[in-house]
Amino acid sequence: MIWYLRLYATLGRTSVMTNFQYRFANVLFLVGMVAEPVVYLVVWSTIARQEGGSIDGYTAGRFAAYYIVWTLVRSMNITFTPFGWEERIRDGELSAHLLRPVHPIHYDIGFFSGWKVVTIALWLPIAAVLTLVFDPSLHPSLVQVVTFSIAIWGAFLIRTLLLWLLGMITFWTTRVSAFFEIFFTAELLLSGRLVPLALMPDWVQDVSLFLPFESCFGFPITALVGPISNQELATGLLRQLVWIVVGSIGVAVAWPRAVRVYSAVNG
Amino acid sequence: MPAISVNALGKTFKVPVRESGLAASAKSLLRRAYRDVIAVADVDISIDVGEVVGFLGPNGAGKTTTLKMLSGLLQPSAGEVRVLGYEPQRRQHEYLRRMALVMGNRNQLQWDLPATDSFELTRAIYRIGRADFESQRDELVELLDLGSLLDKPVRNLSLGERMKAEIANSLLHRPEVLFLDEPTLGLDVTMQRRIRGFLGTYNARHGACIMLTTHYMADVEALCERVIVIHHGSVLFDGALRELADRFAGHKTLTVTLESPADLSAYGEVLEVTATSVRLRVGRDQAAAATQQLLSDLPVRDLTVEDPPIEDVIELAFASGAVTPP
Amino acid sequence: MNTLRLIWLHLRVNVMNEFQYRANLVIQLIQSMLAAGTGLVALSLIFDRTPTLNGWTRPELLVVMGVYMFVGGVIGFAIQPAMNRIMSDVEHGTFDYVLTKPVDSQVLASVREFRLWELTDSMVGVGVIVWGLTEVGAQLGPGEWASFVLAMVAGTIALYCLWLIPTCGAFWFTRMRDIQDLYTGFYRAGQYPITVYPRWLRLTLTYLVPIGLAVTVPSQTVTGQMTATRLFAMSGFIVAALAVTRLVWRVGTRRYSGASA
Repeated sequence: MIWYLRLYATLGRTSVMTNFQYRFANVLFLVGMVAEPVVYLVVWSTIARQEGGSIDGYTAGRFAAYYIVWTLVRSMNITFTPFGWEERIRDGELSAHLLRPVHPIHYDIGFFSGWKVVTIALWLPIAAVLTLVFDPSLHPSLVQVVTFSIAIWGAFLIRTLLLWLLGMITFWTTRVSAFFEIFFTAELLLSGRLVPLALMPDWVQDVSLFLPFESCFGFPITALVGPISNQELATGLLRQLVWIVVGSIGVAVAWPRAVRVYSAVNG
Repeated sequence: MPAISVNALGKTFKVPVRESGLAASAKSLLRRAYRDVIAVADVDISIDVGEVVGFLGPNGAGKTTTLKMLSGLLQPSAGEVRVLGYEPQRRQHEYLRRMALVMGNRNQLQWDLPATDSFELTRAIYRIGRADFESQRDELVELLDLGSLLDKPVRNLSLGERMKAEIANSLLHRPEVLFLDEPTLGLDVTMQRRIRGFLGTYNARHGACIMLTTHYMADVEALCERVIVIHHGSVLFDGALRELADRFAGHKTLTVTLESPADLSAYGEVLEVTATSVRLRVGRDQAAAATQQLLSDLPVRDLTVEDPPIEDVIELAFASGAVTPP
Repeated sequence: MNTLRLIWLHLRVNVMNEFQYRANLVIQLIQSMLAAGTGLVALSLIFDRTPTLNGWTRPELLVVMGVYMFVGGVIGFAIQPAMNRIMSDVEHGTFDYVLTKPVDSQVLASVREFRLWELTDSMVGVGVIVWGLTEVGAQLGPGEWASFVLAMVAGTIALYCLWLIPTCGAFWFTRMRDIQDLYTGFYRAGQYPITVYPRWLRLTLTYLVPIGLAVTVPSQTVTGQMTATRLFAMSGFIVAALAVTRLVWRVGTRRYSGASA
């Protein structure tokens, strides 16, 4: 429908304008965020150099590439937090959403997408600096670059749907913090955020195949950094598509139920 | 078919019972006790297209609960609601595009951007065609005097200016039904008058059905020919504003201006005496007779017969608590 | 002594408040354990592949991780909440309350906010330190213990100073909140000994966001890598930091009072 295109275009534009006003804050956030992967980068490059040049196929240069691309993928992964629902319910923002003739998820996707555009723009100079400092080895093919460009948006979409689903638990019970923490820790370990999944034990890599975490994080990075065959690129994108479908069905099923619970009591 | 039709509407909340003391809180860990709080009970309302209705009641009477049920935010526990033929709680997008709920402290505009940008977003959300959008926006800008404000970031506007912009934003889709919860709350007198005037014009021009809750009697007197009084979740009164006094106020006030001072205590209860006039309170049924007597007995220069102030009437209505059929 | 009493009073109020929210304790404990668990996973991944990291053995890295968590807990308990409160007070104009009390404003502003349950990080950290030290098998005499504790205290003071100085930026530019992200980001780098990092990062983490002083240095005292001269130099730096902080505070508060008149 044309109207949905209009809506996303307007949401995106509004978001870009708003977030551009906060560019200073965004830059500081990005620079602060960089510390985490730099730590991992330095530690693993050191080990690679200590152990004869590479570990599990990762040289110091490839580690550098992995963790620099990591910074962009991490930014693309940031979306509406499941912890945010409690506040949304409490301060009346949810009611405002319910009065609009639009599913609130479009609002979130649209707004965050605009923010991502600004983030990508601000990230480029930071990535340039990191490249100068850490000398990554990065030689992607054109197919890899194209797949990467699609995959980062796929990752954003999957994670938004997934965290929406998670956050909706808040409608039934507010004692969810511990559960969310455990979820995020599992994600940290199984997504390729802590270390490239190739460095994890085999059983962990097998389990990750059935979870969406790698599709959101490790796959986009590996798509650009390699080594990866064209077939693996295609499989990865397909897996992303599957998770998007699963996530969409989940949200479509859970949301009306969540609203019913909310409107029985709060309004 | 009426625009708003409410039948035997009820809403009951389950509220956890919490007693004080250590033993009680230990017990509550195991088994939660609940009691029922009846917010709205057996309410019937029928409002036609183009009516402006004041919805009055003390705090906690059930006004906001009722409005939320009418806008689809809250599910009724009992009864039926139909607005423009839709069942609000289904929250169909076609319904949401034809109505508006404006609650005083909503912040819908983008804080860092000029209002114009928020308006564009509203246009996209409500699927307003370009031509319709421009004519509606221009009309709202004119009626609310927004011209110079639209290009300033919303955070730079004063409270009153922001309220006007928020109201404009809520009405860009030209809803046929408006639910307003205390629209003039916290605004200065000039702004209140402007909003009142605007609502009256909007109703006259577009035939929109307006239902508003308010504690300001000036709002009621200016806009509402019909009022519905709700208390303890039930409708106390539903009819013309003038009749409210008839139903609940037992007296009238006579203000008599005389050629020369005189003692009027025989005619009624004397409230106030000034150099030129006397104010009397007289029982409602005796008002006509007392007036006749005064006019024939004394050299009266001027005489007015008034209902008590609306505030007093409303208070009496709340206090009566009686449920009278409309 | 007045200062101590002030701290005690604020602490007491805070603790009483937090006791109302016992559920938070459980959540925080879970968080701390998850953080420790993640750190342990990282360490096992590292030491599956190499016997030492830049000269540090596994038990030594355990000590580093433990000190990192311990200091992190203290920061989350006492320093970060106070800094946040200063920034939000300046933003909302309520900082006047601090200036009009008959107490030194810097002391008051620094000791009035606590978040008790953040100490679970410190609790878990202590456990990890003990574990690491046991494996190191070091025989620590009273001298080593003293320098260990002193080094941690000194490092934490350095962190306090170098956090308060940018927070004072709020007196000039009200929107200092965003600097928080920068600090908490860099803070994470402290979970590994800073000797691993390239020189520029090492210097940043010693003098700018002195997590190196707060975590690596104390760890070095118990792993036998610290010398008396280095400790001495560190103390000198900290005294200088305190002095500079005081100066910045004075100038900042004077500007604040002037600006809001």
